[in-house]
Amino acid sequence: MCNQRLRKVARVEFGTIEREIHIDASPEVVFDVVSSPEHLREWWPDEAEFPAVPGGAGRIGFGDCTQGGIWVQFAVVEAVPPRLFSFRWTHEEGEPVAPGNSLLVVFELEPAGNGTLLRMTESGFRERGWDEAKVAAEYAEHVTGWDFYLPRLPAYAEKVAAGA
Amino acid sequence: MSVMVDDDLWSAVGDPIRRRMLDLLLNDGSGTATSLSERLPVTRQAVAKHLVVLDRVGLVHATTAGREKQFRVDQAQLARAVAQLAEVGAAWDARLQRIKRIAETIQRRRGTTNDSEKKQ
Repeated sequence: MCNQRLRKVARVEFGTIEREIHIDASPEVVFDVVSSPEHLREWWPDEAEFPAVPGGAGRIGFGDCTQGGIWVQFAVVEAVPPRLFSFRWTHEEGEPVAPGNSLLVVFELEPAGNGTLLRMTESGFRERGWDEAKVAAEYAEHVTGWDFYLPRLPAYAEKVAAGA
Repeated sequence: MSVMVDDDLWSAVGDPIRRRMLDLLLNDGSGTATSLSERLPVTRQAVAKHLVVLDRVGLVHATTAGREKQFRVDQAQLARAVAQLAEVGAAWDARLQRIKRIAETIQRRRGTTNDSEKKQ
């Protein structure tokens, strides 16, 4: 919990969030973690259902859906392993996904030494309006907080390694 | 009610010209529609309209000491707008930390950090 070694690009432009982090794992491994629904569930939503291919439409779920949990629309924009993965989320169900009705998240992966430089950009707040973005992010943070996830990681990692 | 305010606040700072106006006002302490338009690629009328938007959400306040209205930035309100974005940023910081830990754990289990280079 104290070992926060995130390298943050200190450029919080209004309407866009940019982050950069070095990961001691190959781009192939990192790509899998940021793009597969199975891994997504371990670092963000509780549920994730989407085909990890360009145009793949699906949804991610936060919380127990029988107890006030919510589903949020999710659509893959680009998937170029192991370099690029992007998706849009928070658009209304049944609405064609487009700039203006959703937030765009882009992961760019670059080999760096023995690891990977991962760049994340989330944009669309201005077009989308602040309120939805804030509510979605707050909810996500609330139900998938660091304290909640940290104890689950070692067991999960072993599970992955055993299956690999 | 407060939700509406937040949304308007966000829209107000979302415009690049309005952000430059805020920058100029912060830098100079205060300014008028005329003084701002002299340093921006837009007309005085356009600046005046942007000032109305900023004023409506409380990001600037006007005083009418001279011939023209003098505008100042409401620093508390601006801090509030920035803090809202920081909250979303903090959520991503936590997610990226999890991504890092998961990926590094998988890599360590495989024990072959140089895999990607060898393949190329």
